[in-house]
Amino acid sequence: MNPAYLGLVYFVWFLSTYFIVVLILSLIEYKEELFISPALDKNDILPNVSIIISAFNEEESISASLDSLLQLDYPKEKVEIIVVNDGSTDNTREAVQPYTENSHIHFIDNTSNKGKAACLNQGIAAATGEYVACMDADSVVDPQILKKTVPYFKNKKTGAVTVTVLVKNPKNFLEKVIELEYILGLSLFLKIYSLFNTIQVTPGPFSIYRKSVVDEIGGFDVTNITEDLEIAYRIHKAKYIIAFCMTTFVKTIIPNNFTGLYRQRRRWYTGAIQTAVQHRNMFFTSEYGIFGYFVPFNFAIIILGLVLFILSQYLLVTNIIKNISLFALTNYNFLAFLSLREFDPLALSIFGFFGISSICMTLLTLIIGMRFARQSLRTRIPGSVGFVFMFFLYQLFWFVSLYTALTKRKIRW
Amino acid sequence: MVKKRILLVGFLITLLIFVTIYFTNIILNKQREDAIDERMTSLIENYEEMQTLSMMSNLFGEEGTCLIMQAQLLNMNKEIWETGRKIDQYRTITEEFMDDPFYLEQKRRFNLNEALYFSLLEQMKKSCEVNQTTLLFFYQKKENCPDCDAQSFVLTDIRHEFDEELAIFSFDADLDLAPVAILAQYYNLTEYPCTIVEDTAHCGLYDKDDMMDILCNTSYFSECSDNP
Repeated sequence: MNPAYLGLVYFVWFLSTYFIVVLILSLIEYKEELFISPALDKNDILPNVSIIISAFNEEESISASLDSLLQLDYPKEKVEIIVVNDGSTDNTREAVQPYTENSHIHFIDNTSNKGKAACLNQGIAAATGEYVACMDADSVVDPQILKKTVPYFKNKKTGAVTVTVLVKNPKNFLEKVIELEYILGLSLFLKIYSLFNTIQVTPGPFSIYRKSVVDEIGGFDVTNITEDLEIAYRIHKAKYIIAFCMTTFVKTIIPNNFTGLYRQRRRWYTGAIQTAVQHRNMFFTSEYGIFGYFVPFNFAIIILGLVLFILSQYLLVTNIIKNISLFALTNYNFLAFLSLREFDPLALSIFGFFGISSICMTLLTLIIGMRFARQSLRTRIPGSVGFVFMFFLYQLFWFVSLYTALTKRKIRW
Repeated sequence: MVKKRILLVGFLITLLIFVTIYFTNIILNKQREDAIDERMTSLIENYEEMQTLSMMSNLFGEEGTCLIMQAQLLNMNKEIWETGRKIDQYRTITEEFMDDPFYLEQKRRFNLNEALYFSLLEQMKKSCEVNQTTLLFFYQKKENCPDCDAQSFVLTDIRHEFDEELAIFSFDADLDLAPVAILAQYYNLTEYPCTIVEDTAHCGLYDKDDMMDILCNTSYFSECSDNP
């Protein structure tokens, strides 16, 4: 066995297991705090909030989004909704038009496509609220979302608040797998990250910002393909906190096929790499607390894991090719080969142990995570099976994204 | 403070899991070596018994001993094949891979035992009229012999089909063992892989069909349609 390969296996296994163990320990340690949010006092005056929706070809979903906003449990006169049309070529304009009769809903109708970040900045510039919430046009919010998130801003250091992102009506297998990923990755784990002040993203479906902070840092970066991720780095850079609220949620539409998921993840991961490179001066410095160490640690796991994955796939493929050429010599007599196979526990190598322990850790995370997220796992068994093996798909997405980032290929939103 | 404790405890737990896996693997390594040792001891005991029987047949005549020896040899044929497979299988999962000293030593012992078994079988074929065809397979390590693995794969398949009618002996020419060197010299081997079927050398890579033709043209096998 090549000692370098063996060392890499040990190192990657150790880093990723350590990451999962710390996550599980944090969940256990902070289990009481997960669903506790600061509440409004009776004497608190509710602030004005502007909600900005950037819409590009959202004729089918924008009505549901606006309807959910009209159901908000928040004084109507304190909510301003700004819809920014990003040069849609479908009937988004016509879909929004009936809502503009409501004096609290404003419509900025761009005839050309500017990009999501530019549209959000346009909305922020027009906003009059003390806080600005940015929301995707394909998402619907919990009526309590503002009442639950606004109190977090009592802490003057809070720059943004994000919420649980759930999947809207998951139907097929892929959607059910991603649903679990959202419950854990875009909800529970973000909550844990928030306790360490290491949130790296303010998710696009719904995040609320202190407007003065957004103005101070110069709004969204129009050159970045993952503007919701990039702004999180600059909030940390400006020494503000990103809080996470688990007691409210936003439901969003997710890709329902492989191509859609591939495009989404390629954009997310390429954007994550580009953003990390852009803000690399934040790493390995105590100035930004754990965040400065957590992000490079995270990327170390991803990149080393990817190197290991590629090496393993190379070995696997060369082995398959070799075996095919061997079977050609025996007229593809697979039956004889299979009859020689036997179960021998002594034949389990250390790699087998690492593999089994990794699957066990993933399952443990899933079971504990769903329990702490107060979600049922029993009703999501098919998705759980897929979730354990999504690792292979993510490695593929990371590989493509790394290539895209390194070759500086342009990706459209 | 709590966060630092979590990071530290997390590190210790991860270390504990790692150490557990590492030591479990060491324990399994030991068990693998014990399993091979046990098989080798059993083989040696069988050889000793066979040698005794052979001596007895020389002294007291072949009538009574031939049947017992035949049964014994058939059993050993299976055992030796399985032991060879296990050595190769376990050898590949050690940290030192093919250079693991324990398995190198076992491979040497195994080759010597095979040479011994082959000699006994040849002797028995003369005295007891045993109808078992012998096939000697000489190979070298992959770097020097790219086709050796492929030939070994073909012979494994053939061994599965011919079962007891064919006794295959595989010899590692890289181990510098005197009995193997004598056999190689006797058959005048110049290249590897080389397969000897009933005293005729067939060097180079042969696929299953070609090897079946060679075997079927040499001896009687129930698997062959055209037997000599």
